[in-house]
Amino acid sequence: MAEVHVIGQIIGASGFSESSLFCKWGIHTGAAWKLLSGVREGQTQVDTPQIGDMAYWSHPIDLHFATKGLQGWPRLHFQVWSQDSFGRCQLAGYGFCHVPSSPGTHQLACPTWRPLGSWREQLARAFVGGGPQLLHGDTIYSGADRYRLHTAAGGTVHLEIGLLLRNFDRYGVEC
Amino acid sequence: MATASPSVFLLMVNGQVESAQFPEYDDLYCKYCFVYGQDWAPTAGLEEGISQITSKSQDVRQALVWNFPIDVTFKSTNPYGWPQIVLSVYGPDVFGNDVVRGYGAVHVPFSPGRHKRTIPMFVPESTSKLQKFTSWFMGRRPEYTDPKVVAQGEGREGKAPSPLLPLSPIQVTAWEWVGPGLG
Repeated sequence: MAEVHVIGQIIGASGFSESSLFCKWGIHTGAAWKLLSGVREGQTQVDTPQIGDMAYWSHPIDLHFATKGLQGWPRLHFQVWSQDSFGRCQLAGYGFCHVPSSPGTHQLACPTWRPLGSWREQLARAFVGGGPQLLHGDTIYSGADRYRLHTAAGGTVHLEIGLLLRNFDRYGVEC
Repeated sequence: MATASPSVFLLMVNGQVESAQFPEYDDLYCKYCFVYGQDWAPTAGLEEGISQITSKSQDVRQALVWNFPIDVTFKSTNPYGWPQIVLSVYGPDVFGNDVVRGYGAVHVPFSPGRHKRTIPMFVPESTSKLQKFTSWFMGRRPEYTDPKVVAQGEGREGKAPSPLLPLSPIQVTAWEWVGPGLG
């Protein structure tokens, strides 16, 4: 079986209008993939930038997959939330990016978006907070049914991911 | 190289904690340690260290320089649990107590060669204002009992907002693979 190591960190996020951000992340793979070690999802701490506007999480990611096929190459997906001084959480953006397929270290910048509601919901969000959220998390990384959504841009999630591949040449895959 | 038996490889890390930028604080020292998985073990060198105390330079750069050497070699059979270096920076507060000024962690780079890394640092913050004042006054800030927590992903959700302190460049240079390679 071919093996893939995804080792790196979610560095942080920039470009969001809210400060005090945290991120819930997960990794989605196809049916041929099996997670041998590591946790498939997690949540970072809340970070409030004191200098500049980039929130830093430095959240480590260390995953070891075994796979029988290339279909369903891993995708990292993120939900960035902001927390206010009362402890309430508000969605700041959804985003996803594919894990790179060439070995080595990669700097990734993942753009995010958030669903807009009707003008009433947008007004309420400006004053009271809250706002629409996705019911099913898989819309974040899949293209089906996206046409129903009207969204606005959020900020960018920055990652540094290192990739180690093993035994791919045995199966005739060049990388 | 198609073998089923586990192959041991070595990872040699030579480098230094070069300097830091902390606009608000002075007279800082840093501690480093490595966090790694179960399949890893250090074979040579020191996996922990404490640096000297450094003050900001008088010139316009206001630089905090440690130039603190890191020299360690790891042995492993599995890339899972790749070592991370955890840095903690400490300094005196207004009353003279030693308080933590920042924690940060980064993975040791994966490819041979010379790499320069700049690590953002953060500090845990108390959630209540009274607790913030008391800890400032008594000099007992929230601190991690074991700085290695910073290198783990699990259990971070409960953390209070953590103010970010700016970057501390760490230069890790010249390590090499010895033994059968991977990937």
